[in-house]
Amino acid sequence: MGEEMLWLILGMAIVTFLPRFLPLAFFTRWVIPERVKMGLDYIPIGILSSIVFPILFANGEGKVEIQPQHLFAAIPIFVFAWKVRSLWGSVVLGMAIYWGLGFVL
Amino acid sequence: MNHKEFQEGAKAALPIVLGYLPVGIAFGVLARKAGVSTFEAGLMSLLVYAGASQFIAVEMLSKGIVWFPIVLTTFFINLRHLLMSSTFSLYLKNTRLSILGLISAQLTDESFALAMSNTSKISNRPKYLLGLQMASQIAWIAGSVGGAFFGVLINHEGYGLPFALTALFICLLVLQVKRHTHLWVMGMTGVFSIFFKGMFPGNWYIFLSALFALGIGMLMNPKANSSKT
Repeated sequence: MGEEMLWLILGMAIVTFLPRFLPLAFFTRWVIPERVKMGLDYIPIGILSSIVFPILFANGEGKVEIQPQHLFAAIPIFVFAWKVRSLWGSVVLGMAIYWGLGFVL
Repeated sequence: MNHKEFQEGAKAALPIVLGYLPVGIAFGVLARKAGVSTFEAGLMSLLVYAGASQFIAVEMLSKGIVWFPIVLTTFFINLRHLLMSSTFSLYLKNTRLSILGLISAQLTDESFALAMSNTSKISNRPKYLLGLQMASQIAWIAGSVGGAFFGVLINHEGYGLPFALTALFICLLVLQVKRHTHLWVMGMTGVFSIFFKGMFPGNWYIFLSALFALGIGMLMNPKANSSKT
């Protein structure tokens, strides 16, 4: 392995680790204000929405454009996930529908 | 050491494992194409363990870019974990710093979202979280090494595999919706994230959308936060 590659991997490892670690280390040892806690409650929804919706409604360059194969596979998964609440079922069903749509679209 | 908690966490990681294997394989294949060795690809998945930035690193390497710009890019891509790490802190008050270090090193969008789908499981149960994240990372490393080693023999775009992680995220999103206010924040953040993606480079839109959701949550009437659907 080249020296350049070693610096690359170690550098990437350090800058990835710090934002993951520092808040956890600090906030488990200091008290968080009530209002900030309320806000933190919405972080998972914020992150998940911002991952899911652009996959369905934006293209690779970030332009607004419906992605039919993803969107038509996503709609039944929203319904399935709401009714059945199974992660693993959603993944398998989602893959099957997406695969099937590949032949139709 | 509570092995039951650890095993329970590892079992809960199954949907992530299913999603990480094909993506890891894709990473391994692309890494080899960019001239990264199987060992280096595996080492990167062990020490860095961050999907998007690993793909971008490989892409930049294939264009002959030196290490410093890649490290800087990685830093900005992974800044979004600041907010996830802050959220985890609410549930791990009595955990030793060394364990927190290990948990942080394995924090990803997927493991965070899965852990937050049932917070009673992670509340002061670091072993559960360790099991969940360890199983996920093993799948990621196995995928990358396998992909780099077997290369083009594997079709990582067939059988609906590109949709595996999307389906996982959709289900995790649905599981997060517990109140009317959650539905509103989901809709608003969803719309904004689509536009943020067009306006900002890379995956800044995820960080900004999370910040947006945090802001709405802080502005909300505390009473609205307790009304169940």
